[in-house]
Amino acid sequence: MIKLNNRDYEWEVGLTVQRLLDKKSFTYPKLIIKINNVLVPSEEYASTIIKDGDDVKVIHLLAGG
Amino acid sequence: MKVLKRKSELCIACHACESACSNTWFKEDNAEKSCIKIKEGEKENVIISCTQCGECIDVCPVEAITRDKNGIVRINKSNCVGCFICVGFCPVLAMFMNDEYIEPFKCVACGQCAKQCPTNAIFIEQE
Amino acid sequence: MSIEKLKSAHKLLAEYKYELGKIEKGYTNRTLYINVGDNVIKEKPVTQLMKDKFIGGKGFGMYYLWHAVTPETKWNDPENEIVIASGPVGGITQYPGAGKSLVCSLSPLTGMPMDSNVGGYFGPLLKFSGFDALELQGKADKDIIIFIDGNKGTISIEEAPEEAIDSHILGEQLTEMYAENEEDKRNISVVSAGSAANHAYIGLLNFTFYDVRRKQIRLKQAGRGGIGTVFRNKNIKAVVVRFAGVKGNLNNAADQGKINKTGIKLHKEIHDFDAQQCRMRQVGTANIIEVMDQYDLLPTHNYKFGAHPDTYKISSKVFTGMITQNTPDGCWYGCSLSCAKAVDHFELKTGPYKGQKVIVDGPEYENAAGLGSNCGIFDPHAVLELNFYCDTYAVDTISYGTMTAFVMECYENGIINKEITGGLKLNFGNAEASLEMLHQMARGEGFGKLAGLGVRNLKKLFIEQYGADPVFLNDIGMEQKGLEFSEYMPKESLAQQGGYGLTNKGPQHDEAWLIFMDMVNNQLPTFEDKAEALHYFPMFRTWFGLNGLCKLPWNDIVPEGNKHSDEPAKIPEHVQNYVDIFNGVTGKNIDKAQLIVQSERVYNFQRIFNIRMGYGKRIHDAIPYRAMGPVTVEEYLSRAERYDGQLKELVGFNPEGKSTEEKMAALRAYREDQYQKLTDAVYKRRGWTMDGVPTVEHLQSIGMDLPEVIEVVKKHL
Repeated sequence: MIKLNNRDYEWEVGLTVQRLLDKKSFTYPKLIIKINNVLVPSEEYASTIIKDGDDVKVIHLLAGG
Repeated sequence: MKVLKRKSELCIACHACESACSNTWFKEDNAEKSCIKIKEGEKENVIISCTQCGECIDVCPVEAITRDKNGIVRINKSNCVGCFICVGFCPVLAMFMNDEYIEPFKCVACGQCAKQCPTNAIFIEQE
Repeated sequence: MSIEKLKSAHKLLAEYKYELGKIEKGYTNRTLYINVGDNVIKEKPVTQLMKDKFIGGKGFGMYYLWHAVTPETKWNDPENEIVIASGPVGGITQYPGAGKSLVCSLSPLTGMPMDSNVGGYFGPLLKFSGFDALELQGKADKDIIIFIDGNKGTISIEEAPEEAIDSHILGEQLTEMYAENEEDKRNISVVSAGSAANHAYIGLLNFTFYDVRRKQIRLKQAGRGGIGTVFRNKNIKAVVVRFAGVKGNLNNAADQGKINKTGIKLHKEIHDFDAQQCRMRQVGTANIIEVMDQYDLLPTHNYKFGAHPDTYKISSKVFTGMITQNTPDGCWYGCSLSCAKAVDHFELKTGPYKGQKVIVDGPEYENAAGLGSNCGIFDPHAVLELNFYCDTYAVDTISYGTMTAFVMECYENGIINKEITGGLKLNFGNAEASLEMLHQMARGEGFGKLAGLGVRNLKKLFIEQYGADPVFLNDIGMEQKGLEFSEYMPKESLAQQGGYGLTNKGPQHDEAWLIFMDMVNNQLPTFEDKAEALHYFPMFRTWFGLNGLCKLPWNDIVPEGNKHSDEPAKIPEHVQNYVDIFNGVTGKNIDKAQLIVQSERVYNFQRIFNIRMGYGKRIHDAIPYRAMGPVTVEEYLSRAERYDGQLKELVGFNPEGKSTEEKMAALRAYREDQYQKLTDAVYKRRGWTMDGVPTVEHLQSIGMDLPEVIEVVKKHL
C-alpha cells in the first residue's frame, strides 16, 4: 500500500511513476510529482520505481477557463 | 542575402563591435544599446546577433516586422506597438530593447561592427 | 447595400466635442456618460475615492451601476446602465492579457448586477481616447449607433436604421464605415449584439478587433448574464471607438522599465513552455476537452455524467485540424499566450447564412462542452456551426448549452413533447434540432423564443403550464441565481460546488476552479482548507477584473521554478508579476496581501449590491442537486462502485442489501449537509454572518465602510 495524495492506494511490484499515471489516467500535462517529498523530474517518470509504503504526491496544477 | 556571421572561438571579448554598433545607431558608446552582444564565458565567448531567421515576423501582432528585398528583417517603428513579444520569442535572443525606447532593435547586417573586429570573429557573408 | 448608402441613412442626434486627455499612471481620470434616451453626453471626473476603493474596471462598473439604480430597478428600466471599462493596467502592451474590457449591468436573468469580461480592442482604445469607463443609460426610441473618435475628440449619437443587427456583418460594416482607410481599420473596435438579443434573455455583447493578417474583424464575447439583451433593449445597435496611434507607453506608467522586464520574462516563458503545457498558442482553451473527459469532469447529457465514449470526436486534436491559422492570435497587442482561434472558410449548412463561408471564432472549451457534449452532440461541424450562430446572433454559448441540455433532458423525460416544442425533437444528440431552436431564438419565434428566457424561466413555465414535477426540475435545472452553470462537472468536488454556488454573479468558474486541488490532489481536506481556497482564489481572480486583465496568463502557463514553490497552485511568481506591473503602472507600492484587499473591497461591495437588490443571502447560494450528486438511478448506477464506496467510507452507511433509492437518499443527505457545512466555513472566512451578510466590522477592516454600503447591511444584520 502507498499513499497517493494522502489516500491509500494499492502497491504492486515494479510500480513506476509512469505506470501509476497510466493506471490512474492522470493525463493532465501540468503535474508536479513528489515521492517522500522529493521532486521527480518528468524525464524520470518511466524509470522511477515507487516502493511499498511511499508517500506519493501527484499534484495537478489548477487551471480552467 | 547579407548576414552577419560569427566565429565565437575567435572572439577575444574586446567589445569593439558593441561600441561600433551603438555609435552607428544610437550615437553613443553604450553596449546596452548595441544590436550585437558579447557574453564572456570561461571557456569561450558567445556572440549574440540576429541570424535573419525571421521568426519575429510571425509573432508580431501588427506586422511591423518584415523582410526587405535584400533578405534583411527590419522593424517599422511607426507601426510597432512595443509589446516586445519578438524579444521574448527570438530563438537566439538577438532582438534587443532598452527602456529608453518603446521599440526593440536588431542587427540589420550593416557591417560596421565587422570592420572594427580585430580577429575577424564577425564578418558579413552573402548567403 | 453599400457603406455610403448605410451611412447616408444616418441621422445625427447629438454631437459632443471634448479635449483629448492624457493618461497618467494608468488613469485618464475621466469617464464618459451617455444617455441614449435624451441624448445627453457628458464627462465625469474620476474621484480619488473611486481609485482608492474601486481601482477600475469592474470596480468602476459596480460603483456607477450602484448609483444609477434603486432596489426597485429592473433590467429593462431606462435607468439600468451598461458600464464598459478597462482598468489602470489595461492597455499596456508588454504583459500578455492586458486588453480586457469589463462590462457591468443589471441582468435580465438574475435581476442583480452582472459582470462579464471580454477581449477585443474596445477597452484600451476607449482609454486611449480619454476615458476610463463608459456609462450607457436611458433607452433610445429607434436604433442608434454611438461613435467615439479618440483622435478628433468627438462623440456622436446617430440614428442608424439600415445596418445589419448580426455581429459578423455589423462589425464589418462599421469597421469599413468609420475607418479612414484600410490601414486605419486596426484602430476601430465595435461593440454590438445580434438578432437573438432582441428576444432572448441570454444575449451577449461582441467586441471586435481587426485581424491585420486575415483582413477581417474578429469577435470576442462578453457572454455571461444577458448584457447584450440590455443593450438591444436600449435600442443600441453598436458603440464604435476609433483611436489611431497605439504605442507601448500610452499609459504613462510610473515605471515602464519594470513593465517591460516583467512582460518579456513572461513572453520568454510562453515561448519556452507553452507547447509542452497547455498548447494555448496551438489550440487555445479547447486543449482541455479530452482531459476533462478523462477526469470525469466533462459535462455530458445535462451534467448527468462527466465522460462519454464519443468525446474523441470533438477532442482538441479534431479541432486543431480545423483551426486555420496564419499565426497565433492574441485579442490585444502583446498577448503572446494567443488563445484566440478561428476556423476560416467555414461553410454554413443551416440558417439565414446557409451556404456562405464564414470565419468562426473558436472553438473555446466552453463551446465544445456546452454546445457539444452536454447536449450529447459529438459532431465538430455542428459545434462550430452553433458556435458561429451563437456569436453572430449574440447568444451566450454557456447559457445556451446548459439551457439546451436541460430542455433535452425534459424532452427525453416526457415533461415536454413535440407539440410543446413545435415539432423540435429535442433528444440528446440532435444537433439539427438545437440549430433550429437557435434560429427560432434569433427570429423571436416558437419554442426557441421561450428557450431564450433561460433555465429559471423555463422551469417555472414547465411547472406552471405543463404540470412538471417542481422537485425534479429544480434538481436537474442547472442554474443558480438565474444564471446557467458553466461547463464543468462539480459533483465530486465539494470545493467546486462552493466555487460555483458561493459566488456573486452566479455559477461561473471565473471566481474559482478548484476541482483538481480538491478532488484529485486532495490538498483541501477540511472545510477550513476549502474555505481558505474559496476566499483566496475568488479574491485573487476578482483582481483581474479591476485592472482590465485576463486570467489565462496567470496559470495557463507555469514558470520553471513553480514546482519548488510553497504553494504551486497559486503560481507565486506570477502573482508577484501582477504586483510588479500594477506598481509599475500606478506608481503605488502594493504587495501580494494588499492586492487581495483591493479585491475584497469590490467583492464585498458587489455582494452587498446583491443584497440591496433583494438577493445575496444564504438562500440564494443554494445549488441544484445535479451539481452535487446523482439525481437519477441512471446516474447512480453509472458510478455505483464510487458511490457505494463513499457510503461505506464517508457516510458510515452500509450499502449492502439496500435498494438504489435508499442509497441515493443516504448519499444525498450527506452531500447536502456537506454543502451547508462548507457554506458556514466560507462565510466565516469571508467575514460574513451565517446568512451571508458582510459584517460592519469586516467592512471596516477592509476599508469598504462607505455610508451607503453600511446602510444596506445594517438592515440585514
